[in-house]
Amino acid sequence: MKAMKILRYATMLVFVLASIRVITGASDLTSTGTASAALLLSVPIVLAALGGLFSERAGVVNIGLEGMMIMGAWAGGYIGSQHGPWFGLMAAMIFGSVGALVHAIATVTFGVDHVVSGVAINIIAAGLVRYLSTLMYKNGSWPGPSQSPGIETIPLNGLPVLSGGQYFGWKSPDLLGSIANLNWFFVSDIASILRGLTGDVSYVTVVAISFVPLAYFILWRTAFGLRLRSAGEAPVAAESLGVNVYAMKYAGVLISGGLAGLGGGFLAIVAASNYQENQVAGRGYIGLAALLFGNYRPGGLLAGAGLFGFADALQLRDSAAIHALLLLIVVILAFVAFRKFKSGKQIGGLLALTAAGFTLWFYFAVDELPGQLVTMTPYIATLLVMALASQRLRMPAADGMPYRRGGLR
Amino acid sequence: MSVAVELRHITKRFPGVIANKDVSIKVETGTVHALVGENGAGKSTVMKILYGMQRPDSGEILVNGANVNFKNPNDAIAAGIGMVHQHFMLADNFTVLENIILGSEPKHGATIDFVAARKKVVEMAAQYGLDIDPDVLVEELGVGQRQRVEILKVLFRGAKILIFDEPTAVLVPQEVDDLFKALEGLRAQGMAVIFISHKLDEVLRVADEVTVVRQGSTVAEVKSKDVTARQLAELMVGSELPKPSTLGHTRREEITLTLRDVSIATATGSRNLISNISFDLHAGEVVGIAGVEGNGQAELVEAIMGLREYTGSIEFHGSSIDELSVAERHDLGIGLIPEDRQRQALMMSSPLWENRILGHQRGKPVMRGFVIDKKATIESTRTIMQEFDVRAPGPDTLAAALSGGNQQKFIVGREMSKVPALLVASHPTRGVDVGAQGAIWDVLRKAREKGMAVVLISADLEELIGMSDRLLVMLRGAITAELDPTKTTPEQLGSAMTGAV
Repeated sequence: MKAMKILRYATMLVFVLASIRVITGASDLTSTGTASAALLLSVPIVLAALGGLFSERAGVVNIGLEGMMIMGAWAGGYIGSQHGPWFGLMAAMIFGSVGALVHAIATVTFGVDHVVSGVAINIIAAGLVRYLSTLMYKNGSWPGPSQSPGIETIPLNGLPVLSGGQYFGWKSPDLLGSIANLNWFFVSDIASILRGLTGDVSYVTVVAISFVPLAYFILWRTAFGLRLRSAGEAPVAAESLGVNVYAMKYAGVLISGGLAGLGGGFLAIVAASNYQENQVAGRGYIGLAALLFGNYRPGGLLAGAGLFGFADALQLRDSAAIHALLLLIVVILAFVAFRKFKSGKQIGGLLALTAAGFTLWFYFAVDELPGQLVTMTPYIATLLVMALASQRLRMPAADGMPYRRGGLR
Repeated sequence: MSVAVELRHITKRFPGVIANKDVSIKVETGTVHALVGENGAGKSTVMKILYGMQRPDSGEILVNGANVNFKNPNDAIAAGIGMVHQHFMLADNFTVLENIILGSEPKHGATIDFVAARKKVVEMAAQYGLDIDPDVLVEELGVGQRQRVEILKVLFRGAKILIFDEPTAVLVPQEVDDLFKALEGLRAQGMAVIFISHKLDEVLRVADEVTVVRQGSTVAEVKSKDVTARQLAELMVGSELPKPSTLGHTRREEITLTLRDVSIATATGSRNLISNISFDLHAGEVVGIAGVEGNGQAELVEAIMGLREYTGSIEFHGSSIDELSVAERHDLGIGLIPEDRQRQALMMSSPLWENRILGHQRGKPVMRGFVIDKKATIESTRTIMQEFDVRAPGPDTLAAALSGGNQQKFIVGREMSKVPALLVASHPTRGVDVGAQGAIWDVLRKAREKGMAVVLISADLEELIGMSDRLLVMLRGAITAELDPTKTTPEQLGSAMTGAV
């Protein structure tokens, strides 16, 4: 039922995008390249958000995701350039977990405020990797104080038959790719998006995306997950049933650090080919926003990360397409207005309708958006969607609250 | 008969408070053993020690004759001890099933075997008459149903020694009967049941033996057939039991509160949580709202206080207050004693003087202009503590350090300090010991004589009948009966509440 609903909305969205593409001629809206780039840009955010999911479900707010990603990215660059990409990714996870361990000791064992500890980790991580990078440069093993040597790439592949790729020397046909090239309205749009999502994909991406259902399985289908979530919902009740709340919180935060570190490693090893300073650039925070947008659920955070990735990919590839995106906002606002009027909320509907009219006027009034605005698109999109969607959020009941064993009478 | 549990000379101190001092209890298998005492006497602390949630400073615990040292509830559970908590230990955002299996999940490979768990829970629920839907979220349940979840949790773990911490405080007589039947069954199967209560008639009905706790120490252990309620009460407080009663009519001509067709729909609008509630309340009158928990009483309170949107009209002293905010209603002289003191009335980790400010933050004596007048607030807090006998070291004590009864007395005192014209009292004496109960009743009685109108909501039927001038029965959100308390017995009221007239 739910899956059908999601599928229906996704199809509607693609249809609207395809229509806008035809109207405006912004071909990158639904191109294979955009979809592929969006996926690549989404993965680190997905990993960060999954990290946040484990931590916050266990009741520990994790602003430190950013710092853990930074540590992961550096370790990925350092180990990856010496021992190959796979060891690099493993080192990224371990380094992220080290950052998480500090966070866990501070918040769980010593009861430090979660936000204070998280911010401290972000600041320390940035300083620490800068220091280590400088050391590497001084001893001559790195080309510069802000970047590591190149890292060997991990091969790409696609779905057999559907989207090309190599299988044991056999070159698979690229069915979706050929449909995409036919230029049929809507059909080719769907094909090219699917081709972008399934073709020329790094193995790491496949693994990372598979973590989403895996996280759902662990958190909602296993005893460990139930106990971990109970530590974030009602720790005193959990303790009264013999759940080791401290252990659950430690586990949640450590898994969180591992995933965030992997996200950082992905940036250095898969998305780029070496470590560069400021590579993470706020993706830890965006991951947290995606988690909130997704209402602390794996499927939701995937949607949030996808949205950001799409907006980011579009602004990188084709700034004219961002202009066309204004029409999408018009359509969405009109849809919201329709829903509001239908449920009898006149004021809300009127507001949405006004905003839609204004956006439409803006679309016709300017031919090209200023460059600064284009670069800001992913952030603006995140902000807008958060503002619209955050009204029914349900965070874990005891998230961010200090917990002491036996402390509550 | 063998001894299931024995506590010897247990002592436990908290900062500033001695919770237990030389407590000794002996519970035999196949019996129901009651632990009675005022709130704040230390009953709950004893049981938390027995359940491994807290460690005693000195003394020893024996289970089935063997000396044990519980580090955490896991150890207690492993020794076959289960606890039905007074303040429910449930995760609101989990389903009933998840709450029950948490900590001892049946597994199927790597995953939880939800099928087997559901089957077992449904079977147990049927066996003990604890009817419940395992798949709804706990936040959607009423208090009575939450207690069933708590009991099922304990039974699911196969406990042989069951601790019930004031289980009847929230139940109507019929439910109490069901609970006591379940207890009989447990006793017959050779389990040891520890029953904590301060309702002495219930204790005498269900218990074989009674241990009395006063001011942190055990003062007597008696067989229930050898004592009367009066004797137990004297052991408990050293004086006679106060009775809920109002003498004579103090009802005046003027109408304080008028409700006309007040309704609240659910969020989806599919049905009404309360529908077409209408009544008049005169000054100097107490109207008692009877009903099983979750039949619209909470929503009625929210409507009167303006906490929730409603249709229909509410008038206060003859003028409509429908458009007024909560603050404005408060300022007009409508006071509230909320049903859940810890969640709705107190900041648990703040000192009492800060709690004194809650709800009174717009005027004297706590404010001087825009600034909090700390000195005057502390002074006024001290006055409330003296007048209402709130037992705590001082205004700087954290609210969490007070026993439930003292918290409640403080809340009543805070509300009465402003002399409201209308008091909405939601379970004003729930979980409160006899001494504090009598004190709260006294306050309500005196204010009623001076012309205060009271909407009294309670699960304690004796209190409802004794304190009210008029009884309204709520069932499924509507008023289904109006009764004269002088001609109503608790049993009759109980039947009216369940709709089985």
